Amino acid sequence: QPPRSCEDYWWEWKHCRGLRHAFHHYYAHGEMPACGRWRDDYEACRAWERGRAAAAQEALCKSERARVMEKQKYAPVWTLRKSPPPDWYLPLDQDKPN
Amino acid sequence: MRPRSAALRLTARGPRPSALPGHAPSASRGGELARRLALPCLLPFAPPPGTVAGRRGEGQGSAMEQGEAASSPAAEEKAAAAAGEEAEEEEDDFGYQLFPDRNKKPQSFLVRSLFTFHNRCQLMLRMTLDTNPYAQLLLEAMKQSGCTVFNDRHFSCENCDGCVSGGFDSATSQIVLCQNNIRHQSHMNRVVTHELIHAFDHCRAHVDWFKNVKHLACSEIRAANLSGDCTLMNEIARFKFGLKGHHQTCVRDRAIRSILAVRKVSKETAEKAVDEVFDACFNDLEPFGRIPHSKTDAKRAYRDFQNRDRYNANL
Repeated sequence: QPPRSCEDYWWEWKHCRGLRHAFHHYYAHGEMPACGRWRDDYEACRAWERGRAAAAQEALCKSERARVMEKQKYAPVWTLRKSPPPDWYLPLDQDKPN
Repeated sequence: MRPRSAALRLTARGPRPSALPGHAPSASRGGELARRLALPCLLPFAPPPGTVAGRRGEGQGSAMEQGEAASSPAAEEKAAAAAGEEAEEEEDDFGYQLFPDRNKKPQSFLVRSLFTFHNRCQLMLRMTLDTNPYAQLLLEAMKQSGCTVFNDRHFSCENCDGCVSGGFDSATSQIVLCQNNIRHQSHMNRVVTHELIHAFDHCRAHVDWFKNVKHLACSEIRAANLSGDCTLMNEIARFKFGLKGHHQTCVRDRAIRSILAVRKVSKETAEKAVDEVFDACFNDLEPFGRIPHSKTDAKRAYRDFQNRDRYNANL
């Protein structure tokens, strides 16, 4: 099945084209948003749902993977933990080192 | 006062700014001075003479620690809001005096109920945690990371000094909320979101709050970016005007101010640290996945977070 439901792509596209989002995007990034990608994703999602077209699946997955890669473009500043901090759940009076 | 044996990582946040800008008084007791004179907490960044790092004018601080105390691995740091840092050259004044109740015995129930804003703070906190989508997403994300947040254990409403609104105490893993400085629900929402982002970073990564200015800068950039601190309305209320890409300017500025308020580093060092990590950290939008400019965005982000298993499985 598609990574997101097709309603989500539709919503994202509509939201992207709205005035409010355009304003916020300009305020945050200094340029207007590009919404064509969401439309393409929506079309691909619909094609996937309708006919299970392999090309549509591939296009959609490629687009989503590209989105993920964009997020991971920068090297992280810190190392991620493998387990939560040990003192997170400790009762309060035992927390403070003396 | 208890010696600095507890590792206290605090993020101080200023209250809703008021209309009068002012200058930070240069006295070392400026924080108290500001409070007594009821000076607004909207103070431009002006390092008092004789100190390396100035206080944040707006009272936005960030969670950080510096290991200055000899007897313990971590010292406490708080971001102070009002002007006037203690000019202690040997040890970093971590804004400890801004959270005077941290190491005191808790007050009696009657005193606390009748003479402080404790109940109001608790009510507003409960409202935030139950209804605000930003907070709900962060709580869910932290639960997934293994740090379930409990109201009575991980939140603490206390009286604070100066213009501070809250902080994250990494020693006790508590989020401190300043019941005397948070007056409106929207402010509480923002403070809780901001601190939860620090807590989330603490939970999911090895953040060296003490010694690494870059880690500190990164968390502060993320918190300013994602908590709604830098919305246009908030910036206008602080008399900072700008439109094109102003969000980034605001985030950068607030991060630098935070670092300077809690660490004894020079402005250049803080600016350099922020500049180095800015690109990576501004674009690190975990757990939101987008910059939430409104509650609608936050709700959408929450939905995406809940659906992430399906998303990852079908990539």
